Amino acid sequence: MAFRQPHSRYGSCNSYFVEAQDDGIYAIRAEERERARAIARMQQRALAEELSRMTADEYQEDIMDHMEYMESQTLPDVNSIDIQTEIQWFMRPYLLDFLVEAHAAFQLLPETLFLAVNLLDRYCSRRVVYKRHYQLVGCAALLIAAKYGDKKDRVPTVRELKSMCCSLYDDEMFTQMEWHVLQTLNWIIGHPTVDAFLQVALAEGPFDPEVENMALYISEIALFHKEFVSTRPSVLARSSLALARCILSRNDQKVSEWAATYDPQTVMSLSNHLYQPSQVLSRKYSSMHLSNVSTTVDEFLQRQAQIARRAAAPPTPPTSTHLEEPKSMLDAYGPQTPQKTHYSAAVMQHGCLTPPITPENEQFIAKSYPMPHALPSTPTPDHPANMHQAQYYQNTYLQPQPQY
Amino acid sequence: MWTARLELPTRKFIYGHRAIGIPPDAVPAHSTPPQLRIANELTSASAILFDPLHTNRPPPSKLRPTHAGTLSIANRTDSSISVRNLGGGHTAPFPPTMDNRRHPSSFQQLEKLGEGTYATVFKGRNRQTGELVALKEIHLDSEEGTPSTAIREISLMKELKHENIVLLHDVIHTENKLMLVFEYMDKDLKKYMDVRGDRGALDPPTIKSFMYHLLRGIAFCHENRVLHRDLKPQNLLINTRGVLKLADFGLARAFGIPVNTFSNEVVTLWYRAPDVLLGSRTYSTSIDIWSAGCIMAEMYTGRPLFPGTTNEDQLQKIFRLMGTPSERSWPGISQFPEYKANFPVYATQDLRLILPQIDQVGLSLLNSMLQLRPEMRISAATALNHPWFNDLPQRQQQHAQAMAAAQAQAQQAQMGGYQVPQGAY
Repeated sequence: MAFRQPHSRYGSCNSYFVEAQDDGIYAIRAEERERARAIARMQQRALAEELSRMTADEYQEDIMDHMEYMESQTLPDVNSIDIQTEIQWFMRPYLLDFLVEAHAAFQLLPETLFLAVNLLDRYCSRRVVYKRHYQLVGCAALLIAAKYGDKKDRVPTVRELKSMCCSLYDDEMFTQMEWHVLQTLNWIIGHPTVDAFLQVALAEGPFDPEVENMALYISEIALFHKEFVSTRPSVLARSSLALARCILSRNDQKVSEWAATYDPQTVMSLSNHLYQPSQVLSRKYSSMHLSNVSTTVDEFLQRQAQIARRAAAPPTPPTSTHLEEPKSMLDAYGPQTPQKTHYSAAVMQHGCLTPPITPENEQFIAKSYPMPHALPSTPTPDHPANMHQAQYYQNTYLQPQPQY
Repeated sequence: MWTARLELPTRKFIYGHRAIGIPPDAVPAHSTPPQLRIANELTSASAILFDPLHTNRPPPSKLRPTHAGTLSIANRTDSSISVRNLGGGHTAPFPPTMDNRRHPSSFQQLEKLGEGTYATVFKGRNRQTGELVALKEIHLDSEEGTPSTAIREISLMKELKHENIVLLHDVIHTENKLMLVFEYMDKDLKKYMDVRGDRGALDPPTIKSFMYHLLRGIAFCHENRVLHRDLKPQNLLINTRGVLKLADFGLARAFGIPVNTFSNEVVTLWYRAPDVLLGSRTYSTSIDIWSAGCIMAEMYTGRPLFPGTTNEDQLQKIFRLMGTPSERSWPGISQFPEYKANFPVYATQDLRLILPQIDQVGLSLLNSMLQLRPEMRISAATALNHPWFNDLPQRQQQHAQAMAAAQAQAQQAQMGGYQVPQGAY
C-alpha cells in the first residue's frame, strides 16, 4: 500500500495517518484539544448570550408585537378541520408519531416540528384532504418547515421522505404537494412557534436544560391533542413552562411579568394529558441528551398518585382502585413489561376523540401498537415479510415474535 | 428497495419506516364518498389528485400555470391537486374569473437586469396596465421542489411591507419556474454610483438621504425579527424618485431571542462583519449594521472599503484600518474559531484619512457602525436618531407626521375608541 502514502511522511499529517495510530500520545492530545474546544464553546455561549441580551434590549418589544401579530394570523381552525370528510381526528396522532420520528431521524431543529404541525393543520383547515394523502401533506409540511428554518444540509431530500413513506407516493407528488401547501397558505410560513416563545421566556433565567426539555416535552404532548390546536403558541409556551417548573419544583425563579403569566385553564388541561403521552414522544424524551424528562414526568405522576391514594380513605376499596388507574403506568415502564395501548386509553378517558367503538376499531388500535422494534427496516410494502404487519395481534407482546 | 436505501447519503440512519397504517376498515363506512372510487382508478400522480366531481376542468395533462399570492384563498381553485374549499370559502361555479394580470404571459419580458446565483431578473411590463415590474425567475429543481431560498424570501417579504423594502406584488408558479413580480426599481446603488457619481462617489446630501432610507429598511427588518444578511450596493435599489429600498432577501432569515446559531457563510465577503469572519455563528442584528457602514464609506469614495480576496485577506484589510483587536480591546476574541494569535498588528487609523469628504458628525456615525465588536455596534433604530440626520428634510417631515399621529391617537384614546392596527396582509 506504499503507493497510497503521501510523499512526505513527516510533513503535513493528514487524517489518514492520525486515524491509523489513534492511541497513546495522540489520544492524550485529542483529549486536550477536546477540552480546549469545550472551554471555547462555553465562552462562545457566554458571548452569544451577551449579544443576544443586547439585541433583546433593543428590539424585544417590537419583535414580540410582531410575533403576537403573526401568531394570530397563522392559527389553524379546529372547526374547519372538523368538517373534513375523510380524515378524522383520531388519525392525527398516528401522523404526528410519524412526523416526530421523521423529525428526530433528520435531526431537525425543535421549532421545525412545531412549524410543520402548524403548516399541516393550517392546510387541513383550508383544503379537503384525502385520507391517503394525509401523510403526504404531513411530509410536505415537514419539508417546508425544514427548508424555512434548518440548515441546508439537514433538509430531507424527497428521496428520503419517499423511502420513509415506503414509496407510497411518487417523487413528483412531494414537490407538487409542497407547492400546493405553500400556495394554500399564501406563502406565509413565518408562524412563531411554541419553541420561539419558549426561548423568549427561557432567555430571562439562567440556562437550565432540564426545564427547557421538560417544557418542550409538554408542548410536544400538546401537539397531539385537538384542544390545543387553536391555542396560541405564546399561551401554550408559557403554560408548558409553568407546568414544567412545577414538576421540577423550580418555583423560585424571578421572571418578568410576560414570562410568568400563564393560563391556569391551559395548565390544567396540559397536566391532564401527561398521563398517556404518545409512546414515540415518551421514547424520544427518555434519552439523556433530552434530560430524560419523560421518566421524570412518570415519576412525578407516580408520586402524585401515591399522595392521592393516601389522601383517599383506605377502607373504601372502590375509590382506591379507581384512583389507582394511573398506577398502571408504573408497570408500563419496567424494562420489558407490556405497555398499554395509549390512544385507546386516551380516547376513552377524555372522550375528545371518539371513534365508534366497533370490533374493527379495536383491531385497528391493536394494529397501531408501536411497531418499530420487531419490523425489519425494509419499507417495501409488498415484501412478503411485511405482510405480517397487517396481522398485528392485540397482544403482540404475549405472542412469540415473528421471525424474519 | 434495498438498493434505494443503500444509495442514500450516509449522514443519518434511515428509519425502516412505513406508511402509516390507517386501515380502511377503521373509517366509518359512511365517510367514504363515492368519488373515491373514481380517484382510485386513476394512476398518474397528478391524475390521482384530480377529482372530476369537483371541477369541470379537463383532466390534468401537465401542470398549468398557477398563481399564488395576492388572491384570496376563497377564489382560488386552479390547482391541479383537486381540492375543495373548506369552511368560509364558497363552492361557487368554477372557474372564477382568472385575473389575466397574474398569468406569466400577461407580462412582456424586456431586457435582463441581472443574474444571481439562483435566479435571473428581467424587466417586465404588464400588458394590461403598462406598469413596469421586475420579474425574478427562479428555476425549479424538479427533484427537490421549491428552493429554500425562495421559501424564505417570499414568506419573509410577505411579512415585510415597508416603503424602504422592495414590494413583492405577486408570485406566479409555472411548470418549471417560479416568477416573483416586484415593483420596478430604476437601478441598483452600484449602477447609480457608476452613472451619477463622480468616479463613483456621491454627493453628501444624497449619501445622507440614502443612508437614512437604508437604516430605516434595516430597522424595520430587525423589528420584525428578520436579518437580511446580504446587504451590498447591488442589493439596494433606487427608484426614479430617489428612494432607496432593500431587495434580495434570498439569504435573509428570521431570528429568535436568544440568537440562534446560523451559518457563517453569509454576506458577500467585502461586506462581511469581522465577528462573522472570525467564525462566529451567533451573530445578530449587528451583522447588517457592519454592511451598512461599509456601504456608507463606499458611497463617499466610490470604491469598496474592504475589497478582500479571501477570508484572511478580508480580516487583514479590516484590521489595517480599524486596528488589530486584542484580548484587551475585545475580551473573548481568542475564543473565535478563526482567531490566530499571529495576526499582524496594526494601529487604528483615522477614517478621515481615506474619507476626506466626510463631515465630523457623519464620521462619528460611521465609526459607531464600523465597530469591530458586534456588541459595540450601533443599532439601526438608534442610528436613525443620530444627529447627522437632523437636517434631513424627510426626517423633519416624518417627525411632524409622527407627532400628528401620536396626537390623533391620544385623542382617540380619550374618546375610548381603539383601533386595531391594520396589518399589511
